[in-house]
Amino acid sequence: MFEPKVKIDRGLYATLQRAAKVADYSSVDEFIIHILEKAAAEIEQAQSEQEIRQRLQGLGYLE
Amino acid sequence: MITVVSGLPRSGTSLLMQMVQAGGHPILSDEKRVADADNPRGYFELEKVRALERDASWIAAAEGKAIKVVSPLLRSLPADHEYRVIFMRRELDEVLASQERMLERRGQPAGPDRALMRSHFERHLETVTAWLASQKYIRVTYCDHAAVLRDPQTAATAIVDFLEVPLNIGEMVAAVDPALYRQRM
Repeated sequence: MFEPKVKIDRGLYATLQRAAKVADYSSVDEFIIHILEKAAAEIEQAQSEQEIRQRLQGLGYLE
Repeated sequence: MITVVSGLPRSGTSLLMQMVQAGGHPILSDEKRVADADNPRGYFELEKVRALERDASWIAAAEGKAIKVVSPLLRSLPADHEYRVIFMRRELDEVLASQERMLERRGQPAGPDRALMRSHFERHLETVTAWLASQKYIRVTYCDHAAVLRDPQTAATAIVDFLEVPLNIGEMVAAVDPALYRQRM
């Protein structure tokens, strides 16, 4: 099974380790996955809203 | 109380407006958007609704009347009024096909492909349905587009029961023209 990996520098990893501990995550992996999921969902939501707005404008339902 | 006819653009909101108006419910529209090939019987819209996000100061003029507000604008309705929302649901592929055809007629860009827009609208409908259910100043009922065309008598009766206003059900039923159901899937 394909297991994607992402390289990050050691300084950032250390920061993430500290943040994960403070936020009470069981591991830095769990913390990183959670914040990436959250960030991606926010971006997708914003894109979705923007494209609905553009569709409404195209159809004449929004100024 | 303000009656709000809502749903996605091209879901059949104009049909609902025709029904409530035919039944004797006053409507608030300015007829600036005139009937065309996409809506042969007219749009029943109010130009000011297009700017509802930045200006809702006129909303008191809709008291006792029905207005059409597409679902992405429902959150902009001021919370200091009470609303009864009749929300039209329609098969999403039919909605999207109708929107695409209207965009083409208006010379507008087609935008994202249908699968992506479908995903956007599915998410939007989930969000707006949950939001509507949690607003104390809003009561909502849902109509199904195909069911309205198949059995307008039942749909009209349900709308009258929901609005709790005496409307002429026979006239509401007569306003439904199945010939205008052009994006059937």
